[in-house]
Amino acid sequence: MAIITISRGSYYMGKAVAEKVAERLGYPLVSRDVLLEASERFSVPEIKLARAIHDAPRILDRLSHSKQSYIAYIRAALAERAAAEGKLVYHGLAGHLLLTGLEQVLKVRITADLEKRVAQEVERSKISARKARELLLKDDLQRRKWTKTLYGVDPSDSTLYDLVIRIDKITVDQAVDFICETADNACFQDTEKCLRKAKDFAIACRVKAALVEEWPNIKVACHYGNVVVYPREKESKAGKLRKRLDQICNALEGIHNVEVHRASQPPVDAV
Amino acid sequence: MSIIVISADDRAAEDQIGSRTAEITGYGRLEYGLLKEIAAKYDIEEEKLAEALEREPSLLRGMPPKKWYYYLACIEAEVLERLAADKMVTWSLAAHLYVLGISHALRVRILSDSEKMAKAVAEENGVSLQKARKILAKRQRQRVQWSQAAYGQDETDPALYDLVINLGQIDPDEAAATIAKAVGYRKFEPMTYSRKCLANLLLAAKVKTRLLETMSDIDVQSRDGRVIVTTKALRRDKQKKTLAIKELAGSVEGVNFVEVHFNNDIFKEAAQSLR
Repeated sequence: MAIITISRGSYYMGKAVAEKVAERLGYPLVSRDVLLEASERFSVPEIKLARAIHDAPRILDRLSHSKQSYIAYIRAALAERAAAEGKLVYHGLAGHLLLTGLEQVLKVRITADLEKRVAQEVERSKISARKARELLLKDDLQRRKWTKTLYGVDPSDSTLYDLVIRIDKITVDQAVDFICETADNACFQDTEKCLRKAKDFAIACRVKAALVEEWPNIKVACHYGNVVVYPREKESKAGKLRKRLDQICNALEGIHNVEVHRASQPPVDAV
Repeated sequence: MSIIVISADDRAAEDQIGSRTAEITGYGRLEYGLLKEIAAKYDIEEEKLAEALEREPSLLRGMPPKKWYYYLACIEAEVLERLAADKMVTWSLAAHLYVLGISHALRVRILSDSEKMAKAVAEENGVSLQKARKILAKRQRQRVQWSQAAYGQDETDPALYDLVINLGQIDPDEAAATIAKAVGYRKFEPMTYSRKCLANLLLAAKVKTRLLETMSDIDVQSRDGRVIVTTKALRRDKQKKTLAIKELAGSVEGVNFVEVHFNNDIFKEAAQSLR
């Protein structure tokens, strides 16, 4: 099992790299279709999900926690695909962050020289270089704000990735070679433990998605089908939460047991 | 043949990957050991050179900024001189911060597993893991400050590198094999133009070293034997300094023409003139 996430900014050639990696390895390519799946499953317009994953949260979003909800839906859809397919290439914003908690994920970031990106955008959109630069810088800023606000990290921080490849002297095809060879490493291969972990992760994400609207700061962990939820004391609404968890337990497959742990620290793999 | 420039957030990883890459490619090694030769050539203590590569200047430690810049310039000139021979792997000599704009140089950053590093620091210093993480974060901050003070670059910026490899999940041997493969790509083959760029950097570094021996606030650029020196001086000293720079820079082999520019802080200059 190798799940490959390819993170990129606008017009970094990341899409081309992702497509070729998926083609070479014969893996399904996942990107916007996750939004469609989440949109259908959670009855949220796709445009809202697309905005949630692109624009930085505004003050109103922060108060209503709507962005957290949308991201939880997208994450649940992606985690389910990862658990079901076993191997996939995901490209788009924050794949490496959405799949935090999953082992054996090869996290790649593609970067490129700003001037080359500007030239590409000029050619693609038939606009001036100045306008293109402004657009790209604005887009980069949005993505940085988004990741910083929701995950507290800077997407350009290379410690978040296994490989950062600059498309300049290294071409798209050569970048594809590197990624495919690295994905072939033993540490990214299929194990019983990682399949189990992927299933648990998908369950935790589904439970979180079901609870996030009412309990936006709740954390959920799952180990071997045993789900543990970590509500914040002030928002716990104990009776209501228990009732909701019973409903979820009946509706979702693969859950053996559900526990509520109040006032205890959630584990690092909690979503 | 090409040049491989490796930088890492951990000295041990840098040595390991650098040595392994040199073994696989059969390239020469340019690393810490070179400091001994540089020390002998310029009559500087080896420890001082090592310290200049590690820490920012400090008068308390007997490393004034003027000397610090001079030591770094000596290292830069010697490293560039050897890199001109091609087929070289260099690490631990800060080459990632001054081998810039050379198309046949593959620039790689290696990141170590931060948790493993924290455990190693905790064991080494007999402290808790939390304390070890703080020590590592402080070291990282100091490295960034050092690279910015020395060369005006943040060495953790991924834009400086063609490839960044995180050893958290990737095996060091695999990383070295990836680097060796990358350097074989056509775009890393030296061309007349890229060799010329390296020769320009080398000439500039040699002139800078010659000037920093006796002067401070020196910046040098060169192109095909034409050297542009940017410095600071009070109005009354400008002519004298220009002559001194032209004489010193002109004595460096390969220099055909010297141009001196002054980049002064006019407010400071005015304040000094009024004293």
